[in-house]
Amino acid sequence: MSAPLLSVRDLEISFRLGTEETAVVRDLSFDLGEGETLGIVGESGCGKSITALSLLGLVPNPPGRVSAGQILFQGQDLVGASEEQLNRIRGNEISMVFQEPMTSLNPVYTVGEQIAETARVHFGSSRAEAWDRAIEMLKLVGIPSPEQRAHNFPHQLSGGMRQRVMIAIALVCEPKILIADEPTTALDVTVQAQIFDLFRELQDKIGAAIILITHDIGVVAQMTNRVMVMYAGRKIEEGPVSGFIRDPRHPYTRGLISCIPRLSMSPSDMPDPLFEIPGVVPAPRELGAPGCAFAPRCPHAMQRCRVQDPALSRIGEGRAVACWLEEEVAA
Amino acid sequence: MTALSVRDLKVHFPAGKGKVVHAVDGVSFDIPEGTAFGLVGESGSGKTTAALACARLVEATAGEVRLGETDITTLAGDAMRRARRDIQVVFQDPYASLNPRERVGAIVRRPLDLMKVGTPAEREARVDELFATVGLRPDQKALFPHQFSGGQRQRIGIARALATHPKLIVCDEPVSALDVAIQAQILNLLARLKAEMGLSYLFISHDLAVVQHLCDRIAVMYLGQIVETGSRREIFTSPLHPYTMALISAVPSPETGLAGSERIRLQGDPPSPIAPPPGCRFAGRCTFATDHCRKVAPVLTATGGNHAVACHRAQDAEVAAARNALVQGAPSG
Repeated sequence: MSAPLLSVRDLEISFRLGTEETAVVRDLSFDLGEGETLGIVGESGCGKSITALSLLGLVPNPPGRVSAGQILFQGQDLVGASEEQLNRIRGNEISMVFQEPMTSLNPVYTVGEQIAETARVHFGSSRAEAWDRAIEMLKLVGIPSPEQRAHNFPHQLSGGMRQRVMIAIALVCEPKILIADEPTTALDVTVQAQIFDLFRELQDKIGAAIILITHDIGVVAQMTNRVMVMYAGRKIEEGPVSGFIRDPRHPYTRGLISCIPRLSMSPSDMPDPLFEIPGVVPAPRELGAPGCAFAPRCPHAMQRCRVQDPALSRIGEGRAVACWLEEEVAA
Repeated sequence: MTALSVRDLKVHFPAGKGKVVHAVDGVSFDIPEGTAFGLVGESGSGKTTAALACARLVEATAGEVRLGETDITTLAGDAMRRARRDIQVVFQDPYASLNPRERVGAIVRRPLDLMKVGTPAEREARVDELFATVGLRPDQKALFPHQFSGGQRQRIGIARALATHPKLIVCDEPVSALDVAIQAQILNLLARLKAEMGLSYLFISHDLAVVQHLCDRIAVMYLGQIVETGSRREIFTSPLHPYTMALISAVPSPETGLAGSERIRLQGDPPSPIAPPPGCRFAGRCTFATDHCRKVAPVLTATGGNHAVACHRAQDAEVAAARNALVQGAPSG
């Protein structure tokens, strides 16, 4: 196998809370290959979004910083890269689509200008060239009558259209990696389906690798090749998507998959109660306690889980899980 | 008994220059006591406005909203205040719907104070009882909203809605702001309260799986009108309207994997509610639309059981074939 496009090694991201510094992401390693789609799942507060931001050097500093590890993009370490180096990579090589299409666009510029600006900054295109490029991008993301729409301000567009504009901006420079942080959470299912069609088409066309952050297991199943589950700032399970859906190994992964209501075409008259993961994600200041971070919410927690944190161990081709239960099963 | 009966409800908003937004445009439905009624549709379909009009948080332009025997659209002053005991609301955003400067015990007690229910001591006891009902500890009454997680805040919102022993609770996207794991906790709570207290819900959601899980009957709204309504079983075993079929087929499912080929695709965005097109409002995005559809508006017509649909082509072979592909292609159970 050739070297991965992106290789994250032992990443640690810390935030200063009052006088103490707490690691909100710890020991995180993962690879992303060319043209691959990696899903990152977990509840809010598990470190998914901050991990994504760190790939673009966007961890707010202070109070946060990447406190250990490497982020190797085509062999170049982005940790400690200069702002100038990062600016060459942001947008050009790695770009990001944020969750909120309402707040991520500038309300006082037309969407055409916002797309064209990206083209001007990164390619040094002339105004006319950049404007043409903006219209081309709007057409690519499936916005009808792009010549007129380019003159619209964000508030004149629907949520789905705004998200398409965000995607157009992210794709102007044909990045090698597209990071999408809950790109469809604010959208209707029909629009979500259109956005994902678009992602697939673009992947075919420009061969971008995608990192998709989501908490929707259905989306993961449809869109990704490989999944990484995060809990309390750590990777607790990783593997190909098929195994993740059919045979989730970590109790947290199993909980995430079974707590969502499933749409059925033959619903019963009295649906059973949903599976519940009791409790909530630990707050940052509760991190770093001994034992497995999930133990207080885990139905299978044993004595050992409360004192010793399980390390990630391989359980087959490309799969890994951090749970003491695996050892019990193996023994 | 019917908890809520809505007849030809219209809510129109002025849009300036003499234009009118037809947000809700002739909606009728009944909610039998002790059942949950789901309103689904895309944003802009008018589902939230319809629900708010039912609780009279938005004034109806025309039509009737009967809560038990009373048409609440014509009530005024004290009579309306008394009627509000029977209809309460749980809002979408548990962060924005609780007063940040009030202790949560006082937030839950507020409806009882306003309606002058019982003595102050009885109200306090009722608040304790409500906290226990929704899975909070009575000693948490003295805390402020920011000291709770999103799921706990939604429990507080539910306790407040339950305070006056309402017959009907309007739930406006009550779980869409919550994390998946927390969603399950709140959905189970709502299902348990309905079973234990015989509550009725008017439940608004854009998430079909959530609506299917909780609601006994479902109505699908498109651009201010109901295009299909039926029992949970009717809607999902035999969706009749192409829009319902498109909604169902757009839901990504863990089992179907990289599906999409048999998906019923929608073109473009919904038309403007300021000048809704003549004929069927969905025709512009419908794969099956004919010239007839674009000229003549279909009316909601009963097809047996509780099922009704507003579509000229629902029974045609072409639509039936797409329906069969959808129902059989999807996972069962």
